[in-house]
This record gives sequence, C-alpha cells and structure tokens, in this order.
Amino acid sequence: MIFNNLKIAWRSLRRNKVYTGINIIGLAIGIAAVLLIFRMLSFELSFNKDFENYDRIARVVRQDVNASGNRGYTTCLPQPAGDAIESSITGIEKLARVKELWPTLTVPSENSNIPSKKFNVADAETAFFAETPFLNIFDFEWIVGDQAHALDAPGNIVLTKTWAVKCFEDWNQALGKQLLLDNQIPLTVTGVMEDLPENVDFVFPFLASYETLKANPEDYFYSEGWHSCSSNDQMYILLEDAGDWDLMQEAIAGIGAEEYVGRNGTRDHVHSLQPLSDLHFSEQWQNSGTHRISKKRLSILGAIGILILVMACFNFINLATAQSTLRSKEVGVRKTLGSSKMQLTHQFLTETGLIVAAALILGMVISTFCLPLLQHISEVPNELPFLSDYRIIAFLLITGVSVTLLAGLYPALSMSRFRPVEALKSNYSNSQLSGSRLRKSLVVFQFVIAQGLIIAALINIRQLDYIQKIDLGFSDDLVYTFGVQVDSATLHRQSSLKNKLLQIPNIEAVSLSSDQPLSGNTWATNFRYASRPEDEQYAMTMKFCDENYSETYGIEPIAGRWLTASDTMREAVVNMTVVERLGLDSPEDILNQTVRVSGNDLKVVGVTEDFHTHSVRQAYKPLLMTTFKSYYWQAGVKMRPGDLKGTLSAIQQVFDEVLPEQVMDGQFLDESIAEHYGDEERLSATTKGFGFLAILVSCLGLFGLATHAATQRLKEIGVRKVLGATIYHIVGLLSKDFLKLIFIALLVATPIAWYLMRNWLDNFVYRTDMPYGAFIIAGLLAMLVAFLTVSYQSIKAATTSPIKSLRDE
Amino acid sequence: MISLKNIERFYNQGLQKAWVLRDISIDIEEGSFVTIMGPSGSGKTTLLNIIGMLDQPNNGEYYFFDEPVHKFRERKRTELHKHYIGFIFQAYHLIDDLTVYENIETPLLYKNVPRSQRRAIVADILDRFNIVAKKDLFPHQLSGGQQQLVGVARAVVGKPKLLLADEPTGNLHSTQGKIIMDTLAELHKEGITIIQVTHDENNIKYGDRVIELWDGFIKNDLKTAEALSASQ
Ligand SMILES: Nc1ncnc2c1ncn2[C@@H]1O[C@H](COP(=O)(O)OP(=O)(O)O)[C@@H](O)[C@H]1O
Ligand SMILES: [Mg+2]
Repeated sequence: MIFNNLKIAWRSLRRNKVYTGINIIGLAIGIAAVLLIFRMLSFELSFNKDFENYDRIARVVRQDVNASGNRGYTTCLPQPAGDAIESSITGIEKLARVKELWPTLTVPSENSNIPSKKFNVADAETAFFAETPFLNIFDFEWIVGDQAHALDAPGNIVLTKTWAVKCFEDWNQALGKQLLLDNQIPLTVTGVMEDLPENVDFVFPFLASYETLKANPEDYFYSEGWHSCSSNDQMYILLEDAGDWDLMQEAIAGIGAEEYVGRNGTRDHVHSLQPLSDLHFSEQWQNSGTHRISKKRLSILGAIGILILVMACFNFINLATAQSTLRSKEVGVRKTLGSSKMQLTHQFLTETGLIVAAALILGMVISTFCLPLLQHISEVPNELPFLSDYRIIAFLLITGVSVTLLAGLYPALSMSRFRPVEALKSNYSNSQLSGSRLRKSLVVFQFVIAQGLIIAALINIRQLDYIQKIDLGFSDDLVYTFGVQVDSATLHRQSSLKNKLLQIPNIEAVSLSSDQPLSGNTWATNFRYASRPEDEQYAMTMKFCDENYSETYGIEPIAGRWLTASDTMREAVVNMTVVERLGLDSPEDILNQTVRVSGNDLKVVGVTEDFHTHSVRQAYKPLLMTTFKSYYWQAGVKMRPGDLKGTLSAIQQVFDEVLPEQVMDGQFLDESIAEHYGDEERLSATTKGFGFLAILVSCLGLFGLATHAATQRLKEIGVRKVLGATIYHIVGLLSKDFLKLIFIALLVATPIAWYLMRNWLDNFVYRTDMPYGAFIIAGLLAMLVAFLTVSYQSIKAATTSPIKSLRDE
Repeated sequence: MISLKNIERFYNQGLQKAWVLRDISIDIEEGSFVTIMGPSGSGKTTLLNIIGMLDQPNNGEYYFFDEPVHKFRERKRTELHKHYIGFIFQAYHLIDDLTVYENIETPLLYKNVPRSQRRAIVADILDRFNIVAKKDLFPHQLSGGQQQLVGVARAVVGKPKLLLADEPTGNLHSTQGKIIMDTLAELHKEGITIIQVTHDENNIKYGDRVIELWDGFIKNDLKTAEALSASQ
C-alpha cells in the first residue's frame, strides 16, 4: 500500500509541475529559515550548559537603588562583602573571587638580541585574576600542571592551550616558563588548560592568581572598602545543593545590611545570586563573554521562524484545496472501488510527505548556502557541520512530520470526505471546499505577517538612521584612538608620546584621557556642590582628560574655558546637565565654584554642551571632566584628511618607539561608536531578511492561486473576450480580487505593527517619530509585488485565444 | 439477496422537498439480471447508488443478504460495499494517473490482497478480457470501448456478488456496446447478480426482469418477456 501510494503520489506530482514546484520551493524556504533560526537558538541556549555543575553555579551580583528610586545593576562585589559571604553563609560548597582585566602579556626573550613577544588581550576576550576554586567550580578541561594549587601563589598563571602555543610555540613547553603581566609583574606558568568552547560566557585567554592582584593593589585597583569596587570585581559560588536557591538568596540579601545604608537611612545596595543559567540572557548584568541575548529576543526569532514555516504550510493548504476539485473524480472512483476514508487520507498525506521530503532536502541546501548570512544577525560561529549535529537531524525529522501534518492533514481529510455520488458528477464543484473563504483568510494572514515585518524593518531602518545621525555633541571624524598602558615605568613617557605624534605632518591634535567621549564607561562617584551641606542625590559620571581633549574631540566649552595642563585633579569642566540638575540659571553661575568629587575639591572652569557618553538609547548623564595623569589609558589622535595609511603607519612607528613593550591596538572613533549600535543593526538586518522571506513565500502562494484562478476562469475569460473585453479588463478582473485581500491585510497589519513598534521605539530616549510613510510604503510594496506576481498569470490568460478555451464542450 | 422496503429519497430544496424516489419496494434474488429503465431524471442512478451503498435513503429499509444496511454506520457499509459490490459507469471513470493494470489492481489493494495473489488475479482477468497487450497503457491511450472493458474488468476483479452498471453502453456505439453486453451476459451465466440501468431497448433482452421508474415511483415491474411484449 505504501509503495502504491508513493507511486501514485509521484505521478500526480509530476503531472502538476507548477503546483509541485511552488509547494516545494515555498516549503523549502520556510524550512531553511527555521533551520537557520534553530541553529541560532540552539547555539544561544546552549551557553554554559555543558558545565557539570550548571544548576548549582551562581555569580554574586548587586542591585543599586538610588535616592530617586532608579535601579542600577552591577556585578561588583566589594571585598568585605565577599569575605562576609565566605565566613557567614553556609551551604556554599566552593567560592571564587575573580577580577576581569585586559592586560598585555609579554614573553621575555632569553636572548637580548631577539625582541620579546607581547600580546594584548583582544576586545572580545577577558582575562581573570581568579582564586584556585574557580578551577573546581567549573570543570575546565585541564591539560597539565597541578590543578589543585595552580592559582595559589602570587605570580601564578594558567594558560589556555591557544595562548600557550602563542607564547611558547608548543604547549608542552609552557609549564614553569616566565611571563610578564603588563610589562612589570613576573608570572610563572603553573598550568595549561584546553581552550574554552565557544558557547560559554567567559572567553578568557588565561587566568592569573588572585594573589597576584592582592600583591599589586595599586596597579589593579584592589581595595578592601565596602564602598569601593568596580563591576570587574566578581564572585562565583557553587551551592552544595541545587534546591537551596531561595534560602541562599535570602542569606545573600542580608549581606551588608548595616554597611549599605545610604544617607537617608535606607539600604542602597542589595546583593543577590545570578544563576549561571541567567548569565547569557540577563538584561541587567554584564557577563565576561562576547555578547548577551535576551530570552525575549530569542522568542521573537523563534516566533518569526515558525511564522514563516506556517506561511509556507498555508501556501500548501491553499494550493491543495484549490486543486482538490480537479481530483474529486479520482476520490469518487476510488471510493466506489472500496477505498476507505483512512486509505484516501493516507494517500494524500503520502503526496504531502513526498513534497515535504523534497522541501527538506532543498531547505538544507538553501540553509547551508545562507549560513554565512547569519553572521549579520547573530554571533553564531560560521561553521558548516551544523547538519551533522544530531539535534539538527532530530529537529529536521520533527519539522518534516509536523509540516506534513500541518499542511497535508486538512486537505487530505477534506478530500477523503468527498461523497462519491456527488464527486462523480461531471459539473461537480465542491461546496465544502470551494473553500475560497478559507483560502482568502490564509492569504490575508500571510500578508499580515509579511507586511508587518516590512513595516517593522522600515521603522527599524529609520530609527537606526536617526540615531546614527544624531549630533553626538563631539566630532568622531578622522579621530584615531588606541590604548596606552599606564604604570610607573610609562607615566613619564606620556609627553614624549604626545610630542612625537604631533610631529607627524598630518596630525592636528593629540589627547590622552581615561576614555573617549562616547565610550559607554561609567565611572561615577558622589558629588557635592559649592557650599551645599550634602552630596547631591545623583552620581556624577567622570572622565579624566588632558588639556587637548577639547580640540581633539571637538568639544567646545560654551562658558568659561577648557582645562589647563595638570598631572592631578585641579580644575573641572562639567556638562549642561550638571548645571540643570543643580538648578542653576545659566552656565556662567557654576564658573569658579568649587565642587567636591571623591574627596577632592575642584574649581569649575568651564561648561560644555551635553554630548553623548553612552549609546543614544540612554539620556545624558551629569558629567565632570578633570585632569589626572595616572588614568590616561587612551590616546586620541585627530588627523587631517589625506594619506591615512601613511599617517597610521607613522603612528604605529611612534608607538613602537616610545612604548616598545606594549602592543598597539587602535581603531577609528566612528567605527568604535558604530559598535554601540550592533544590536540595532542586527535587529534591523533580521527584520529586513525575514521580511523579504515572508514576502517571497506569500507571493509564491499567490502565484499558485493566480495560476489556479486563471485556469478555472479560462472559459469565462474566453466568453468575455468574445464579448469584447480587452487585456486590461481581464488583468484587472483577475488582479482585483487579490489586491483587495492585500489591502485588507494591510488594514490588519497596521495597528498590530503600530503597537509593537511603538513599544520598541519607547526603548530609546532619542527616537524618530512614528514614520507614517512606512505603513504606506509597506502597503504599496506588497501590492506592487503581488500585482506583478498575479499579472503574469492574468496576462497569460488574457492573451490566450478564446477559440482555444471555448473549444472543448 | 436484496430487499428494499418503502425506500424514499428526497433533497431539501429551500423549504420544499424535491422527491427523487418514493415508496420503492423491490426484492432481488441472487443470480438475477435486472434492468432498470425510465426517462432521464426519474431516479435510476439514485436507486442504483442506494443499492450500491454509495447513497443513503431518507426513509425505508434496505436488507442485503438479510443484513439491515440502513442501520449500519459508514465504516460497515464501506466494508460491505468493498467485498460484495462492483460498479460500472457510463463515463468509465478510470483513474487517469494509473495504467490499465494498476486500475484493475486497485480494488484488490483496498481489500488487502497480498501482492503475489494480486498479480495472479489481475493477469487472469487481463487474459479473460483480452487486454493483456494494453496493460501498461494509460486510459487516455484507449478507445471508449476499450476503456469500458477495463471498467468492467476492474468492477469484477474483486469477485463481487453484485454488479451495478449505470448505462454502461451509453457512451459507446453499437458494436462496442454489444461487446460489453456480451461480457455482462457471460458474467451473469457464471452466477453474478447484475443490475443495469439502460435506455437501450436492445439491452433489455440480456436480463430477466425489467423495472420501470417514473418520477420516482415504480411504474412497472415485469419479466423481460412480458416487458418486451408490452412495449410492442
Ligand atoms: N444532490 C442533488 N440535489 C438535488 N437534486 C438532486 C441531486 N442529485 C440528483 N438530484 C435529482 O434527482 C433526480 C433523479 O436523478 P437521477 O437519479 O440521477 O436520475 P436518472 O439517473 O434517472 O437520470 C433528478 O431530478 C435530479 O435533479
Ligand atoms: Mg442517471
């Protein structure tokens, strides 16, 4: 029976080539889309899961509540809070303090003639100072060395295999070798471990012992106060029992009950546990990996994938029901020959199954070719063997079966229900299934999705364009930035670096600072104005800049002047937000006033317009800029146009000459700012890509229906032509029905898209007005594409000689 | 074999009933060859479909080998139909996508006859009907008479007890029609019960009984000889 069904299915599919082709291509597109999305989702959802203690590991994090009730989220854990957790909380099997760092690692040359090798930790990577238990909390794959004590002593370092090879050619040679951390701290390799897989949230190149940090407190800002800590100071714990979460949360929340009391007597910091399972998806807390992605974003992606597949199934249902009248005779005959409903259902499902099988194969091919496109919308590694993954195979099987049922069951059931007596009548048109209302609803549904996605894409593009064109308040044009390490050995070389850079002909200005204007860094501290008795209720964001910051980044004071040269904090320049928050009438009012930040009294000498220090998703923050030589980790070079290449290599030359022990790692400012919009860009690419797919799938279905309609109405068209209708009449006649549907779809899609995109735009402090044009463009676009699709068939029908279509009968 | 008691069939047309069959009571012996006649629209096909269990009466009782068909659910009717009844249509109704061989084989598939037996049975039938050479052709490659021959072969391949033929020669010219009727006569001789619908007086003589319908009623129910003499 199965064999016979297959044979019959094969013949009937071959006879209806257009119909079969449309179905296979449509489904294949849907399947390819779902496969790619599944690939992304399974990658993102697999994060950290392979650690053996996945469900018992947590990170201690902190929520900050300021006086105005705003919440802040930080991963920072002050040393004494960590000590309190260690000494007073039971139920913790192991805990490990870590601190993130991005240092330079130098392999000293044994022969003074050969220059030593040095490596920067790349942007995407984060190194750790870590306590030994870190190696036990996570079951890293250990290769060589004494794992139990590898990070016990100051100067211990554990390398990953790649870095061991990088430093010493052969990882076998690494153990016991010497390295230099940031050109000054000697380290001894005490272990080598496997590289971390891609799906974990730490991509550390190496671990230095926490004792090394404690031994060099100034260089790495190690401090033991309750009130000083940075988001780089973190702690991972391993619970004794995975069931203890609630109790443990309660205990952790109790930490610092006395110490974290703000001026108005309420708690302003509360610690909690962030399960390892949340690390990759948290919208609040940073992780040490390359990216986070919210569960919400993942579900949107999943939903889009399923919608596109469902749309492809709808095509199938539409075409199958449209074709079913042509097959009613066959159903009638088979029933008189003794076929049961069940047997007919099987036969039709076999046909669907065959189409789905072909679509699965084609879908796999398409997804393989499209895999590189995923790079535009996600962080998924671009590797091909994804089809050999057993989960993908299982997923394909499940998809195959469910698509067969979803697409095939309804047409199969309704066809098998035809009553033979009626089905065999020659003028039979099936009343249950003429089903044009069902088909119309499905087409409308498809176009609602397609147009919704197009609207979303257009609004996305508009917003992205808007935020990219926002006046940042400073100039990012032709500014090249690179990091400079600051320590006692290099501090005195700062001026020589600046002077030598300035001698390069094409360089206009050079500035050293803690960070560029839009860095996203949040160095904040409490702040007191003039003679006011108390600190202000908000934190003051700070940047440390030299006297040339203003000209390099094009930030002009609107009152007073810029900072003068100084090694330490003396003067301050604030932004307008500070003036407003202080309730002053004009920027002049703050000039020459004294402000107190972090225990230093500074004289305000200038006020600047607000400029963006963070992604434009966020509002302006109060900002104070002052000089402080020891914190100048970044150099900015303003160039003149022309011979960029030559200028860049001249900069490299100066760097190597002045700071031979460091590695230059530079970037143009506009590029680094663009990275802040990566998320928006990916979202925009996603909606564009899937919007396109949705339109494609919908139009395939429309093409099939138009073909069907044209065939069915061939006789009517013939008669009309004999009566004198022109091609335009006929094309209009056939297209009108479809365009009506698309217009209805637009009416449905508009409010839905409006509502969703309004919500999305609300995430931005600076946002474009709702672009009404997007709705009109989406509608026109869909109509145009649909019209082109339909008109091919209409014109073909309209130009067929009426003698032909009226001949038989 | 067949016993119809007060069979009625109507369609609802708006608020009115459109009567197709009224008060039909017939008994048919196993082994008989019955001809149903009557003008177009008098309900012949409807009656045949009811006897063939493809259609259900609105009222009345239908016993097939003493089993109350009117009480059965669809599944049971399909079973009975499948095992006991063969159908021949005026428009042949072969399945376009299947070859002659496969068309004939299809009823056996639905009866779950094993493959080797199927092959033997179909080969036998092809031989009997002299269409072995045509077995791999598709229906559109055959003449009307050949198609109907395949139709008859397909109807009897499952060894039905009852053969229902709705104007089997209606689309054929007389020589082709005669071949079909001779074939039916031969099948009748072998013991199969046949009910045919026809307009053609020449076909009446093959049967032993003539039932004449008129607007849904039975107008006459005569032995063939009586009917022939009555019509003269
Ligand atoms: N589905 C239906 N709905 C309404 N009337 C029907 C339907 N099927 C058949 N009829 C009517 O039943 C009557 C008898 O039809 P039929 O049995 O096919 O007649 P015959 O085969 O004798 O020509 C006709 O008048 C026809 O119009
Ligand atoms: Mg009839």
